[in-house]
Amino acid sequence: MGEIKPTGVFLTIRKESVNGFDNEILAEYVRKIPGVRKVWITEDELNPRPELILKEISQNNLKRFVLAGFEPGLYKTAFSNAMAEAGLDPKDVTMASFSESGITDNEHAKAVLFCSVHDVPFAEARRNGSAKVLPETLVIGAGIAGIQATLEIADSGNKVYLVERSGTIGGHMAMFDKTFPTLDCAACILTPKMVEVAQHPKIELITLGEVAALRGSAGNYEVTIHQKARYVDVTACIGCGVCSEKCPQNVYSEFDANTSMRKAIYIPFPQAVPNKYLIDPDHCRYLQEEKCGVCQKVCLTKCIDFNEQDKDVIINVGNIIVATGFKTFDAGRISEFGYGRFPNVLTSLEFERLVNAAGPTGGDIRFRTRDKKGNWVFKPEGDEPKSLALIHCIGSRDRNYNDYCSRVCCMYSLKLAHLVKEKLPDAEVYEYFIDMRAFGKGYEEFYKRIQDEGVHIVRGRTAKIEQRNGHLSLRTEDILNNRLLEQEVDMVILAVGLEPKDDAGKLAGLLNIKQGNSGWFLEANSSCDHSGSSKEGIMLAGVCQGPKDIPDSVAQGSAAASKVLQNIMKGKVSIPNEGLHDIELRAKELSTLREE
Amino acid sequence: MNYRVDPTFKTDLKKFGLQSWNDCFHCGNCTAMCPLSEDSFMFPRRAIRNMQMGLKQKLVSSIDPWLCYYCGECSDTCPRDANPGEVMMTLRRYLTSIYDWTGLSRKFYTSKAWELGAILLLGGLIVLAFAIFWPSISPELTSDGGVRINSIIPLRWVEYGDWAMAIIVAFLLLSNLFRMYIKIVHGAEAVKVPFFLYFKEAWRLIFHFSTQWSFSKCDGKKYWLWHWLLMSGYTIMFIIIVVFLPWFQTEEIYDPWHPQRLLGYYASFGLLFGLIAVIIGRLRKNKAKFKFTHVSDWLFIIMLLLTVLTGIFVHIFRLAGMPLATYYLYVAHLAILVPMIMIEVPFSKWSHLAYRPFAIYFANLKKAALKLQEKPGINFATT
Repeated sequence: MGEIKPTGVFLTIRKESVNGFDNEILAEYVRKIPGVRKVWITEDELNPRPELILKEISQNNLKRFVLAGFEPGLYKTAFSNAMAEAGLDPKDVTMASFSESGITDNEHAKAVLFCSVHDVPFAEARRNGSAKVLPETLVIGAGIAGIQATLEIADSGNKVYLVERSGTIGGHMAMFDKTFPTLDCAACILTPKMVEVAQHPKIELITLGEVAALRGSAGNYEVTIHQKARYVDVTACIGCGVCSEKCPQNVYSEFDANTSMRKAIYIPFPQAVPNKYLIDPDHCRYLQEEKCGVCQKVCLTKCIDFNEQDKDVIINVGNIIVATGFKTFDAGRISEFGYGRFPNVLTSLEFERLVNAAGPTGGDIRFRTRDKKGNWVFKPEGDEPKSLALIHCIGSRDRNYNDYCSRVCCMYSLKLAHLVKEKLPDAEVYEYFIDMRAFGKGYEEFYKRIQDEGVHIVRGRTAKIEQRNGHLSLRTEDILNNRLLEQEVDMVILAVGLEPKDDAGKLAGLLNIKQGNSGWFLEANSSCDHSGSSKEGIMLAGVCQGPKDIPDSVAQGSAAASKVLQNIMKGKVSIPNEGLHDIELRAKELSTLREE
Repeated sequence: MNYRVDPTFKTDLKKFGLQSWNDCFHCGNCTAMCPLSEDSFMFPRRAIRNMQMGLKQKLVSSIDPWLCYYCGECSDTCPRDANPGEVMMTLRRYLTSIYDWTGLSRKFYTSKAWELGAILLLGGLIVLAFAIFWPSISPELTSDGGVRINSIIPLRWVEYGDWAMAIIVAFLLLSNLFRMYIKIVHGAEAVKVPFFLYFKEAWRLIFHFSTQWSFSKCDGKKYWLWHWLLMSGYTIMFIIIVVFLPWFQTEEIYDPWHPQRLLGYYASFGLLFGLIAVIIGRLRKNKAKFKFTHVSDWLFIIMLLLTVLTGIFVHIFRLAGMPLATYYLYVAHLAILVPMIMIEVPFSKWSHLAYRPFAIYFANLKKAALKLQEKPGINFATT
C-alpha cells in the first residue's frame, strides 16, 4: 500500500468567475483526503509569495503540492521555486486544471482533486475497461443533419436505424424554397438524399417513431422505439390520393406552417418519404367518433386499417446520433408585433411556404385571407402586397425571450428579401436589423448583392406594429440616419429565431445526456468536440446542439457519422467511471499498483 | 463641435442611482417604443450612448431627460434589460445637481448623511425656534368650540417666515432655471432663437405646468390623473399658505361649504390620493418606473406624506377643541414642511415642477427656431 506524501493543496477558484464550483465544499473534501496537510483557497492568498510557501513547507513538513482549479499554471513558478529552495524536487508540483479535464460540477472536481493528490491521471482513473461496439447505429431525427449522418454511415456498409417522429423525413429544409447564399433550390439538394434514404439497403426507416426508453451502455444500447399507428399499409398503398380527396375533415397543414389546409388522411407533401398516406388520429372522424370511414370505402387497394395499434420496436445499437432539430420561436409571445392579431404579420417560416413554388400559392406572394370555412390561409387568387418589411432578431438576442443569437435569421431574411424582389420587382422591401451577421463563406458578398438589388436595409429594431386602414405601420429608430421612421407596409415578416424542441429535456433525460443553459444539448467540448455529447457512444448533429445553418448542420452530421464509424472500426469503446466513489477506488488502485 | 470623452462619467452617475451602463447594444427599440420621442428629440437611446461614451458636455446641455415622463415601456420591452427609463431618471437627478450652483443638490443626491442631516437640521431649527420663543398658549377655545390656532405664534410671524421661504426658494430655483436655460439654449447644441419666439411660445409654459399634458400622452390617463391630483393639490396648498395665509388660517371656523375649507379639502384629498397611489405602486413594484427607488424618491414621498397627515390632524384636533394636541402637531407640521420645501424644491426631486415645463418650453423654442431657419431634414442634435 503506497503512502501519500504530505501534500499541500492550493485551490485557484475565484468565486466571481466560476459557476457551479464551490470553494468551501471542495476545500472541505480535500482536507479529509489522507496525506493532505494544508489547503489554501485563492481568496485567502491571492498571490502566494515564496516565503509564505516556504514557511508552510517547514511547518507542515510538506513534500509536494497540488494546484487545482482554473489556470493553476499561473501559480506554478512560485511553488516550484519554493520547493527548490526547500531542497525538494521542484517537479513535485501537480497541476489539476478543471477546464482541461472538461468537468462542470463539484462531484467531478472532487474526483479530479482526489486523483491529483494520489498523483494518478484523472483520465486514467476514470476509465473503466472497454466494451465491444455493435455495428448498428440509431439516428434520431431525419432532418438534413440526420439524413446526412445516416447516409454516410450506411454507405460504409453498416446498418442504420433512422427514427423520425413525423410522417415524412426531410425536416425543416424540405419546407424551404432556396438556400443561402447560393440561392440553390433546397428541394433539389434534399429530395435526392431523401430518396436515397428510402432505397438504401442498409437503412431501416422508422417514421412516426419516438425513442421511449434506453438501456445498456456505450457499445450496446438497447433502445425501445414507440411507433405510432399509420392506419395505412405502407406496402399496399399506391399513393393514388382518392382517400384524401373524399375525406371531409380539414386540418391546418403542419408542413405548410399552418398556412393551408390538408385532410385528416394525407401525405405531408408530394415528395414525402415514404410517399404513402397516413391518418392523423387526432382529427380523423372515424378514429375520434367512429363516424365516416369514407376513405376505407373508396380505397382502391384496401390498405386502410383503422384497427392498427401503436407498437414498440426494440433495437440494439452500438452508437446513437441525436439530430432532433429545433422549433421556431412563437412570435405571438411578443405582443408589440401583433402576430396572431394582424393576418399579414407572418413568421419567416410561413413566408418560406408562401414563396415556395410548391407552396399553397404556387410561389406567388399573396395576402393571407379567409377560406370558405373561415380559416386563415394563403390562396393563389387575391391581391399581392406592394411593400413588405422584414424584422430581424424576433425572440433572439432578447433577454425577455432568448439571450442567444439564432445565427440563421440575418441570412435567411436577406434571402427572403431577394425572393420578394424576384417575384415582385416593384415591391418596396425594408429590412430592420440590429447587427448584420453575414459571417460565412460567400455571405458578406450575398449581403452586398441584396443591397444592390434595392432592398432598403435599415439599422434599428422595430419596436411596434400597428394596423391602420389596412396597412401595417412600423415604428423604428433609423439609427444611422438619425430619425424616427413611421413606415407603412402591406406585409411584415418576422425573422423568428430557433429554440430547442419542447421535449428536448425529456429526450435528454431518456438518453442521460446534458443540456446547456438555453436547452440545447451540451457538446463534449465547446471548442474541439461539437459532435460528441456528454455521454460515450451518443453523438450530436444539427441544430439540436445549437443554432446553425444548413452547411454547418450537414458538416456536423458528417462529423458525427465519422465519430460513429471510428467507434465501429475500433470495435470497442471505453466506458467511463461516472460516480465519485468508483473513481476514488480506481485511483487508489492505480496508485498502489504504481508503488509496487 | 468637439466633445471630450470622460471615462469616469459613468462611475460618477452610479452615485445618482445608475444601475448598469453597458447592457445597451443600441438596437433603438426604446426610442421607437417611446410615445414622446420625436425626430428632433430622440431619446432614450442617444442619451445612453452619450452616457456610455462619457460625453458629459453633450448630456449637460440636453433637454431629453426632462422630456421623458417615465412610462417605462422602453424598460419593459428592452431586449437587453438595460433599463433605459431608469437611465433617464438617473440623468434627471444628475442634471438637477448640474443646474444647482450651490453644489448642495449634488451633496443631497449622493450622500444620505447630507440629505438626512439637512432635513433634521432645518426641522430642528424650527422646533428650537418654537422652544425659545414659546408664546403663551391659550387653553381657551373660540366661541364656536375651536382651538385658537393663531395664539401659539402671531400669524404675522408665520407669514413673514412663509415669504422668506418663498423668496429663498424662488431665488434658488430661478437662478438654477437660468443656468438650465444657458446650458440648453446656448450650450453645446446651441440654436439661435429670435426674440419674439420667447413670447410666442410662452403659453406652453403655463399650459404644461398646469396640465402636464405630455404625461397624459405617455402613460395612459390613469397615472396622469393621479399625478395631476397630487400636483394640483400641492400647488393650491402652496399658494394658499404662502400668499393667502391670513385668509386661510383663521381662528374663526367657517361652515364646511366656505371656499376656504373646500379648497383646503380638495388640496388635501389630491395630495393624499396621489401620494397613496405612488406609495402603493413603489411597494408593489408592478411597473418599470416603480421598480427602482432612489433614497431621494422615498424621502420626498415620506416627507410630503407626513406634511399632509400632520396638516390634516391639526385641522381635526382644532375642530375637536383639543388645544395641546393642536399646538404640538402644528409645530411638528412646520418642522416637516419647512425642510420639505427648502430641500426638495430647489435641490432635489421636487425641482422637476419647474424644470419639466421649462424643458418643454425650451424644446419648442429650439424647434420653432430651427423651423424658421428653413433647413428641413437637418437635425441640430447629431450622433
